[in-house]
Amino acid sequence: MDQQLQNGSEFELDLGWMEKQGEWGTHAEPSKNGLTLADIQVGSYGDAPVESRNLSGRPRGAISRPGSMPIGNYTVRTKSEIWLENASFLYEEALQRQWSSATDIPWDTIEPLPDDIEQAQCQMATFLTEVEFVAGDVPSRWVSQMSPDFYEARNVLMAQVMDEARHMDVFRKRALANGGGLMRATGATSGFVGGIDLARDFTEMSSRLHLSGEGAVLTIFRMGELMAYNDAEKAIYRLCAQDEARHVAFGVMHMRYMAANAPERREEIESYLDEAESGMLTDAANPAGQLNQTSESLSIMLGGGGKYFDEGFRKLVSIRKRQLQEYQKRVTSAGFGDRFKNGRSRLGQMLENVAN
Amino acid sequence: MATAKDADRVRPALTLSKEELEVEVPEPRLNWMNQWREWGVRVKPGKKGLTLGSLNVGLYGEIPMNWPDRSRNPRGAIGVTGTPPVAIQIKDKVDLWAPCAADLYEEAIQRRWAPATDVDWTAIHPLPDDVERAICQVCTEICQYAIIDVELITSWQHQMAYGYHEVKQFLATTSLDATRRHEAFRKRALVNGGGLGYEGPCQVSRLLLESRGGWTETVTGLTLVRGLFTQVMIRYLTRFAYNGVERKIYECVTQDLARLLTYGIEHIKYALAHAPDKQGSVITTLAIGFRMFNRDLRDPVLREALAIIFGGGIAGARSEGMHVFYEMLDEYVEELLGACQYLRLPVAMEQLPTVFQKDKRQLPGE
Ligand SMILES: [Fe+2]
Ligand SMILES: [Fe+2]
Repeated sequence: MDQQLQNGSEFELDLGWMEKQGEWGTHAEPSKNGLTLADIQVGSYGDAPVESRNLSGRPRGAISRPGSMPIGNYTVRTKSEIWLENASFLYEEALQRQWSSATDIPWDTIEPLPDDIEQAQCQMATFLTEVEFVAGDVPSRWVSQMSPDFYEARNVLMAQVMDEARHMDVFRKRALANGGGLMRATGATSGFVGGIDLARDFTEMSSRLHLSGEGAVLTIFRMGELMAYNDAEKAIYRLCAQDEARHVAFGVMHMRYMAANAPERREEIESYLDEAESGMLTDAANPAGQLNQTSESLSIMLGGGGKYFDEGFRKLVSIRKRQLQEYQKRVTSAGFGDRFKNGRSRLGQMLENVAN
Repeated sequence: MATAKDADRVRPALTLSKEELEVEVPEPRLNWMNQWREWGVRVKPGKKGLTLGSLNVGLYGEIPMNWPDRSRNPRGAIGVTGTPPVAIQIKDKVDLWAPCAADLYEEAIQRRWAPATDVDWTAIHPLPDDVERAICQVCTEICQYAIIDVELITSWQHQMAYGYHEVKQFLATTSLDATRRHEAFRKRALVNGGGLGYEGPCQVSRLLLESRGGWTETVTGLTLVRGLFTQVMIRYLTRFAYNGVERKIYECVTQDLARLLTYGIEHIKYALAHAPDKQGSVITTLAIGFRMFNRDLRDPVLREALAIIFGGGIAGARSEGMHVFYEMLDEYVEELLGACQYLRLPVAMEQLPTVFQKDKRQLPGE
C-alpha cells in the first residue's frame, strides 16, 4: 500500500482508514437455506457483547470512531434484557414466510353469510384490527431504543412489526369484504397499568405481549378452522397463526435466556407471570376472555349462528382451557415451570373457572 | 366444511369433554349487535388483489384533517371513549399524510425479498485487496445508515394517530426494508474474505435522530439528504458492481429506497400544499442538513472508498475514481434540486456548501 501511496496522482488520498478495519479474512459460507444470519456469525462477528457500549449506531464488529457522538438513544444495552438463542432462525423464517393479504387470501371464496354470523365476524375483525395495532407499535417503539449490537433480536421484532401491520390490514379487509363493516371498538389496548403499552422494561413488555397476549391469540388462530366459513377466512387464520407462532416463540426464547443468564431477575419475572395469569380470562385483550362483545361473537362463529349459541359457547370454554394449557407449556419451556408445582400459579384454579 | 349456505347447520367438530358439554351457558347480552357506522360494504378484489387503498369506500374512506382520538379505535368503527389515552403526538393529517402510502404499502409487500435466498451468494469471487477493503467500508457505512433509519422510523411510528393507519402500515414496511438493507450489506461484507470497516461520521445521522419535533422535518432529512444520496450512490455502485451478488443487492435496495423517497417527497408535497407555513421549517431543515452533510463529506473515508471502487483500485481512485465520485455528487445535487423544484422549494445551487457546487469546487488538476 505504501508504495502505491507514493505514486504521483491528481488526488491525494489519506487511506488511513484501510488500517482501521474489523476482523479481516471473513468467508461466511451459505448453507442449505441460503446465506442466513446464522451463517454470518463468523469469528468475532458472532459475538454479541454482554454489555453494549455502542452509542452511535455502528454495525457490530465495525471499528468505532473516537469522535463519534452518542446519538443512539439506547435504553436496552444489556444482552440478557433482549437476547434469545434462535433470533437468527426466527428472522430468516419471518422473511421467507411473508405473505400478502391482497393476493394470498382467496377473497373470491367469500359468499354472503347469515346476518348474525357476518356481524360476529365483523365484530371479531374490528377487535383484532384494534389489537394488532398495539402488537405492532409497541415492539416498534422498543426497537428504537435497542442497541444495534443485538441486531438479531431487533430484526425479529422488526419482522413482527411488519407481520402486525399485515394482520391489522387483513382483518380490516375481512370486515369490509362481505357486506358488513367495522363495528364497535373495545378499548382493550388502552393505557391501563399492567398493559402492554406501559411496561418500562422490555422483558416485562414481552411477557405481556408475546407470552400471554399473543399466546392467547395464537390458540384462537390455530382453531381458525372452527370459525371460518370459507377458504379466505381459513387462510387468514392459518397465515396469522404462522406469524403469531414466531412472535410467541420470541417471548418464550427470550424468557428462557433471561432465566438462564440473569437469575437475579427470576423473582421479578415470576411477578410478571403472576400479573399475566391474573388477567388471562378477564383481560379484554383476550378475544376468548370474559368481555361479552368478543366472547359472544366468538360463540356465534364457533356454534354456527345465534341459534347454536350454546354449542358455540361450550366450544369457547374448551378453547379457553386450551389457552391456559398452552400458556402453561410455554412458561414451562421458558424455564418457569416450577410455579405450576409449588402453588404460586393460580392456573389450576382458573382452569376450573373457565366457564364463568 | 360448511359453506355459506349451510353455515348455520354444519360446523367442524371440536370434541368436547363430558364436563364441557355440561357447562352452563349464560344468556348472551348481544348488546354489541347492530352497532356500526356504516354497514353493507362489499369491497371486491381488483387486478392487484384486495388492496388496502381499495377499502377506502364510503365512510371508511373519509380521512379527516385532524384525528384527536388518542385511542386505538380503527377508522370507521364506533369508537370507545373514556379510556386512558395512548401516547400519540401526531394527530394532524398534514403532519404525516401522503396519498400514495396505501399503494406503496402493497407494493412493498409484493416486492419483498430475502437476502438469504434471493441473492446468489456463490456469484462472487476474490477481489484485489484494496477493492475488497473499499467495498467492505462502503458496506459498513450503508449498514450504519440503515441502522439509523430503523431507529428513526420506529421512534415515530407509534406516535402517529390510528386514523392514518395507511401511513403507519407503510412505515412498518420501510423499517423492515432498512432492517433488510443492514442485513444484506453486512452479509456482503462478511462473505468475500473481508470484514466490516471503520464506522462513518455521524452528523447527518445526528440531524435525523435529533429532529424530534416534527415528522415532516425528519422526513425532509431522511429523504432529501440521506435517502436521495444513498439512492444515487447505489446507482453508481451498480454501474461499478464487481459481481452478481452486489448487482442483486443494489437492484433490490434501489427498489426499497425508491418507495421511501416517493413517500417522503409526496408527504412533503402534501404538507406544503395544506400548510404552506411549513415551507420555512422544511427549507431550514434542508439548510442544516447540507451543513451536516458537508461536515460528513470532509471526512475522506467514504469518498476514498467509493473512488477505489469506481477506479478499480487505489491507483485508479486518484484520478478516474475521484472524478466519478464528484460526478456522483453532482448527480445527487441535480436530483435534489429537481425534487426541490417539484416541491416548489426555493433552494438554489448557490445556497449549498461549495462541495456541492460543481463550478466552485476546487479539484486537483483543474
Ligand atoms: Fe398479530
Ligand atoms: Fe403477533
